Amino acid sequence: MESEYIFDLLHKAVEMGHKQGGEFIEARYDDLQLTTINLTNDIIKQSSSNNRKGIGILVYFKGTPGYSFTPELSQEGVKEATKRAVKFAKSTDVRNKIKLDFDKIPEVKDNIEAKVKKHPKDFEFNEKLDMLKRGVEQIKEQVDATTTIGLFGELYGEKYFVNTEGSEIFWVPMIVDMRLGGVIVREGQQAQAFEGSGSSKGMEYFEEKKNTPEVLGEETGKYTKEQLDAVAAPTGKSKTLVSPLMGGVVVHESFGHLSESDFVVTGQSPIADRVGEELGSEHVTIIDEGISPYGGLFFPYDDQGVKTTRTVLLEEGILKGYLHNRGTANKMNAELTGNSRAINFMYNPIVRMKNTYFEKGDLTFEEAVEQINTGIYAVRMSGGQVGLDGNFMFNCSRGYLIEKGEISKPIKNTALSGNILELLKYVEGATKEIELKTGYFGGCGKNGQGGLPCGFGGPNVIMDQVLVGGAK
Amino acid sequence: MSLDELRDKVMSIAETTIKYAKDLSIPTAEVYVLEQSISNLTDNQGKIDSRDGLVQGVGIRVAVGKKLGFASSTGFDNDSIKISLKKAHDIAKVSPENPMFEGFVTDTKLAKEGIFDPDIPHLDSDDMIEHCNIMSKDIDMSDKRIISGSYGVNTIWEGYAVGTTEGCLSSSLNTVYGANSFFVVTEAGDRKTSFDFVTGRKIQSVKKIAQNALTKAINSLGSKAFGGTEVLPTVWEPREASSFLMFAFFNCLSGTTYVEKSNPWREKLNEQVAVKEFTLIDDGQKPDTSACRAIDAEGIPKQTTTAIENGILKTFLFDKMYGQAAGFASTGNASRGGIFGGVAYENIPSVGPNKMLINEGSKSLDEQISEIDKGILISGEPIGMFTANPVTGDFSITCSEAFLILKGEKTDSLKTISIAGNYFDTLNNIRSLGNDREETGGPLDAPSMTLMNHTISD
Repeated sequence: MESEYIFDLLHKAVEMGHKQGGEFIEARYDDLQLTTINLTNDIIKQSSSNNRKGIGILVYFKGTPGYSFTPELSQEGVKEATKRAVKFAKSTDVRNKIKLDFDKIPEVKDNIEAKVKKHPKDFEFNEKLDMLKRGVEQIKEQVDATTTIGLFGELYGEKYFVNTEGSEIFWVPMIVDMRLGGVIVREGQQAQAFEGSGSSKGMEYFEEKKNTPEVLGEETGKYTKEQLDAVAAPTGKSKTLVSPLMGGVVVHESFGHLSESDFVVTGQSPIADRVGEELGSEHVTIIDEGISPYGGLFFPYDDQGVKTTRTVLLEEGILKGYLHNRGTANKMNAELTGNSRAINFMYNPIVRMKNTYFEKGDLTFEEAVEQINTGIYAVRMSGGQVGLDGNFMFNCSRGYLIEKGEISKPIKNTALSGNILELLKYVEGATKEIELKTGYFGGCGKNGQGGLPCGFGGPNVIMDQVLVGGAK
Repeated sequence: MSLDELRDKVMSIAETTIKYAKDLSIPTAEVYVLEQSISNLTDNQGKIDSRDGLVQGVGIRVAVGKKLGFASSTGFDNDSIKISLKKAHDIAKVSPENPMFEGFVTDTKLAKEGIFDPDIPHLDSDDMIEHCNIMSKDIDMSDKRIISGSYGVNTIWEGYAVGTTEGCLSSSLNTVYGANSFFVVTEAGDRKTSFDFVTGRKIQSVKKIAQNALTKAINSLGSKAFGGTEVLPTVWEPREASSFLMFAFFNCLSGTTYVEKSNPWREKLNEQVAVKEFTLIDDGQKPDTSACRAIDAEGIPKQTTTAIENGILKTFLFDKMYGQAAGFASTGNASRGGIFGGVAYENIPSVGPNKMLINEGSKSLDEQISEIDKGILISGEPIGMFTANPVTGDFSITCSEAFLILKGEKTDSLKTISIAGNYFDTLNNIRSLGNDREETGGPLDAPSMTLMNHTISD
């Protein structure tokens, strides 16, 4: 589809919205291409190519939003969707007590894309399948697995945005991802490991030494095998060194969501109205940013056309602010942060995270392990669940005992739980190396919008008082 | 558009797509066509959000011998459909053979459709606001204990069709209504939440939802620490029992994990896996549930399957391909899940439950509580079920809405507790099943139940 035609359709939506009584209009078009390959036990369980495109129209009437969407890329389709968005905004205004209107700002015109050396669209299907096969071969070299799994995913496309202010933004998202897994089921026991991650780089990501199929496959096989001899982690509260991946998930799921301002303006978040309070130890600084020097997700503009910023949520333990859309920023007299995101055109943008992480500390990895002395090294997780009260539970799928200041035996799958607002007070340091990743598989879920790509990672973080294994 | 017109529309697109496949000399193809009209309205402590729109798309599988490819596109324009056909064909041509694949559905056989509510397509934003008004009418927001109250209404009306070059051309329709309410309350530093909802294929009464949620949250305030670790019986309210057990049955009844040899019940067919009072039916034909369809997601008629009867494992759940690989017939359990906010047409069929129903017993919840000398009443959804070990069945979860039972009485509300045990042992330690099974809107409905030998700690 020609970009001129798309911008024209979006401008028409804005015009029609105003004519029907809408006071501020935002119109988006997504054209995303998603490819998934699932190689399980050497059989292609899924090889798919999904094209997802359509238009979403958000209309504000007296600070009340109404959203409608359509896959029909015609004036008729856009007209009907705009009409319905206006109708929802107007008829629901009568009940809306939290008006999230905002001041106009100068128009933004931009065209931006991630720096990619090797675009996945230039690679044949068989080349991607071959990467998985190479990875799986390495798993098999290491271990006699009951099940081997290779997953490849890619997402790229085009995003267009137009609003009442006359903004015209075009940007190009990009994610590539490869995961490898091994599962052994033997004598009533299970051992499994999954490795791999995604990036907003192109296929060159898989040429970096630690991300090649061979290295990932070897590690997956090795970690699956070591699970066979894993020991049960001692249950009870423990000092824990959480890896960049695990720490990234913990800070995202358990603290990041509490800082989302839609939960704050409604009073649901336990950190509402607490800016300036000491919520964590001096070792805790938490950042959320759109384009990070540490990697992660490339996310230059949110779905309200706001340029993303580096947002300091917690600085040396003190709460500094929240994540905003335009309405909540205006209501709370805060700077725009660029956190208004929708999973795709079929959803209205809501407040979501970008790349969220603990800021680095000054320890080496060895110093961090030594400082723990006795505890757990939690490396990888599979699944997590949190409550709006800050309670969380994550499944640590790869971890090790730390004994006498050294990493020792692997531990079996174990649950790690606690309350983030209590745990932040027990953060005792972080390492000085930091890396962010993103993913095609997994992602963040909120209000029915599951699987949103975010950036995860950070340094290794030392936490005390983590409940390992739940009940004894 | 009426429901009948919607059926005609999706059938027509499926038929046209199959014609295109033949025109393009594609040897074997299957198309899944979906159109879904959705409307959501949420009032979150007075902050209104709404979403409304049309989900449309096609998902196409192409087979070249045993080589499979899949592509999907949004909308119904002919060019996009043809591009998807070609993409799926291109992928199939270069894919390795899938030895399990034995072809798409070859004929049109229909099971029963569920009930429809012809009023659902006509509900508009004014009606949805009115439903929120009814929910919140008797809520006294001046109660200082209330931090926030939320209300939501959602409607869906949808139709899908499955067509194959082998002769299948079938469709199914559905109407869905849901409403919910959620409260956060606090008192003296204690913070509790509660949720209530209704859901079904017809418009439901919403009068009591908010009051139920608020009352439940308020009654949980003043919670005390459990203090220590003890092995105790647990009594689960119906929705909480459903959430708790869903994980186990998803995995243990899956024909996929059976074929892939990772199912812990792989060797347990016709063996005892639960107490003899326990029966579980996977029901694709209960007319008031969303699972009730004429066909599953690949065109096989839906059915009612007794998976566990009097505690004996009778079968696993299969789609066509995994059923054939295991030497069984499909049980009409092909579904199309999704990642990344994906919708059904973006996914290939995979095995998924219809509506799993655990049989009711004879006792009320109160009667079950009255029989417990010391135990725990689980009154809110626990978190962490996914952390259970799928092979050994060991689990450790937490719950923030629980009460201590002492001498047959529900007593103190408890602060967050951990509950640990083993799923497989639990199924063999069901002391009683309640007479109060509830519709959850999810894939498992259970009655309240009393389970023995769970380890409780702070």
